[in-house]
Amino acid sequence: MADNLPTEFDVVIIGTGLPESILAAACSRSGQRVLHVDSRSYYGGNWASFSFSGLLSWLKECQENSDSKEETAAAWQDLIHETEEAIALCRKAETIQHTEVFCYASQNAEDSVHEIGALQKDASSVSDTLTEPLHSAEMPEERQSDITSNEIPVEQTPRSDSKVSLEESDTEESLDKEKYCGEKTCVHPVSDGDMVENKPTVEDSTSQPKRNTITYPQMVKESRGFNIDLVSKLLYSQGSLIDLLIKSNVSRYAEFKNVTRILAFREGKVEQVPCSRADVFNSKELTMIEKRMLMKFLTFCLDYEQHPDEYQDFQQCLFSEYLKTKKLTPNLRHFILHSIAMTSDSSCTLDGLKATKNFLQCLGRYGNTPFLFPLYGQGEIPQCFCRMCAVFGGIYCLRHKIQCLVVDKESGRCKAVIDHFGQRINANYFIVEDSYLSKETCSTVQYKQISRAVLITDQSILKTDSDQQISILIVPPVEPGACSVRVTELCSSTMTCIKGTYLVHLSCESSKTAREDLESVVKKLFTPFAETEVDEEELRKPRLLWALYFNMRDSSGVSRSSYCGLPCNVYVCSGPDSGLGSEHAVKLAETVFQEIFPSEEFCPPPPNPEDIIFDGDDKQPDVPGTSTVTVAKLESPEEGENLESPLQN
Amino acid sequence: MSMEDYDFLFKIVLIGNAGVGKTCLVRRFTQGLFPPGQGATIGVDFMIKTVEINGEKVKLQIWDTAGQERFRSITQSYYRSANALILTYDITCEESFRCLPEWLREIEQYASNKVITVLVGNKIDLAERREVSQQRAEEFSEAQDMYYLETSAKESDNVEKLFLDLACRLISEARQNTLVNNVSSPLPGEGKSISYLTCCNFN
Repeated sequence: MADNLPTEFDVVIIGTGLPESILAAACSRSGQRVLHVDSRSYYGGNWASFSFSGLLSWLKECQENSDSKEETAAAWQDLIHETEEAIALCRKAETIQHTEVFCYASQNAEDSVHEIGALQKDASSVSDTLTEPLHSAEMPEERQSDITSNEIPVEQTPRSDSKVSLEESDTEESLDKEKYCGEKTCVHPVSDGDMVENKPTVEDSTSQPKRNTITYPQMVKESRGFNIDLVSKLLYSQGSLIDLLIKSNVSRYAEFKNVTRILAFREGKVEQVPCSRADVFNSKELTMIEKRMLMKFLTFCLDYEQHPDEYQDFQQCLFSEYLKTKKLTPNLRHFILHSIAMTSDSSCTLDGLKATKNFLQCLGRYGNTPFLFPLYGQGEIPQCFCRMCAVFGGIYCLRHKIQCLVVDKESGRCKAVIDHFGQRINANYFIVEDSYLSKETCSTVQYKQISRAVLITDQSILKTDSDQQISILIVPPVEPGACSVRVTELCSSTMTCIKGTYLVHLSCESSKTAREDLESVVKKLFTPFAETEVDEEELRKPRLLWALYFNMRDSSGVSRSSYCGLPCNVYVCSGPDSGLGSEHAVKLAETVFQEIFPSEEFCPPPPNPEDIIFDGDDKQPDVPGTSTVTVAKLESPEEGENLESPLQN
Repeated sequence: MSMEDYDFLFKIVLIGNAGVGKTCLVRRFTQGLFPPGQGATIGVDFMIKTVEINGEKVKLQIWDTAGQERFRSITQSYYRSANALILTYDITCEESFRCLPEWLREIEQYASNKVITVLVGNKIDLAERREVSQQRAEEFSEAQDMYYLETSAKESDNVEKLFLDLACRLISEARQNTLVNNVSSPLPGEGKSISYLTCCNFN
């Protein structure tokens, strides 16, 4: 490396997940010299998002993790002085388990809608996997190996020809489309799935799979059109992450879209939950009486504290029982319990009311639902904080491994780290993402797990006029006591999936492997692609093109004291939690920051770049070799005025 | 920032190896300064310059790497929603030229495919130390379908031209896009920043 890393810092941060990145921004903003490193080649750790090929490489890496142990580097042992001891860090995190991949989309690049015959041949073999659910996994696993071999040439395409080849492919595509259109008009006037269904289905089977068909090679080719998050989260529009983004001005690095719909799954059907005033009044599903009941109840929830008599007697009761006393129909009770309060069956009244109120307060700040989603995926958010850190002088180094922490025996404090070059880097404070801690350090720690599924599908789970909806759906557990499953469906305008596809994230707290926890919900909502003997109901469901299951370690509940032998100036950040928002990460970052710098403000707004005037540029001649720091002065501190708007009510 | 004081707003992003003069180009253009031996610019995210082209006010928001290029750790989000990229190398530094394919790979991965890329060979005031011939750079940029320009931030050679030509091209692209009006593929910047989301419906 041409440029040498400096060796003196105030804070060294290891790991680029959300809490570490927020801390990096906060420390750098308050004038600390920050070194922020990650051993991976990408930002975000378990908060990252990937292109399709990127995700496949990530999967491969996860699988290699478990079997291959790297050579143990002993180099750093000699660099430890007599007055010091070393705490080795983990070489590779093992936070992902039970990865399973299923590919249903056609592997054949030539397959397109106009080749229905070919598709159906393929389909007959795949359909076995459905009737005898997804887990007769031999074939999908075979396909998985195809995947990796497919993906490599794409990634390594030398840039020099790639531009050209891209253009070529564009024309190819448009040709395909033309062919497709031609075919469409002569064989069958309506190709849109919606319309086909509305007609009585008298046509023979060849006309049925007339939906737009995305093939596997197409997904690989348009890989970068996908930004697939490892976590499944949204931003509460009144939540602490939004507040922090706005306050610190980090929000300028990202763009957001509103979640457009809250959905519910009841009696085998997906339906839209009316949650704003307008929704309630426009709802076709609710009767007049139901509308009135719902409005009355929601209005009460907004200031339930003012009416203690309404709920006093039920405080310790289950929220679900309380709702029954409010003369709400089962329909409405379901909406409120699962889709609005998003509580479990075992939540008490007070928690339920609190959650409902929070939902209602978030509603209408930015749109018709209380949630936002960042364009290009959740993985952008940690990077945005890293950018803020860098703007204030933080130094960034990906692909940089730290081998150990160096502890001064006398003071018991950590004084340095040693990186993979054997370079010693000194600092006062060290912040470490917990997956970097070694097995010895974590020997007594108990972890929870998160079950995740990532699906690429061809249609929305609830079709409407617009195909660009962002939806959240809570599927309550079938057996009492189990966890409900959170489903978010993203459309292509979120820049997380390619046109003609939807990206669906499923998530719940694990009780078993991810597939065991989530497969039943997947089967309720989707049908695998290329099924031949479709009954009408199956046809109505969106089809799965590709599916991934994995378990992610949830260390959010681990307390600092359960790590053995860490010096007091080493702070630990956890990976993603299972919650819908990122409140936990924000809180963690703020707590750690205040422990380290009790008198400093946490992420104050930076000067607005448009208001900066530069001082002293021609005043002192610069001495060569010394780095002059440009003085940035704030001219008119009027930032953030248009941020809060009285949209509420 | 008020919405009325310009007709167009474009985000221009600079990339290229450390030390090739990215920050100097920006400061020369936006402030007419050449700060020699300049160190890190602390706390400056992007710079703004509003120029007038054929009677239209064009606001250029010019983003610098914040030093993240030093150890090849630029965030992907830096490239998002950029309308144009200025890929810079130093004509007196062969290494900075040889890294260009690597930068192009990043662009291809993370930037919008509608982005306009300009290749800039900076430091022509140091012609006696030139390591990369103009012809080589021209051939390279042609093969990659990029515009090419040689500049000197120090002597202010071609700096105005660089940004103004770019602004012209961005305007004509923007016009075409509104004509074509392809609905389902969002243009860069189509999503809303939080502050815009609040101040009602802009689309």
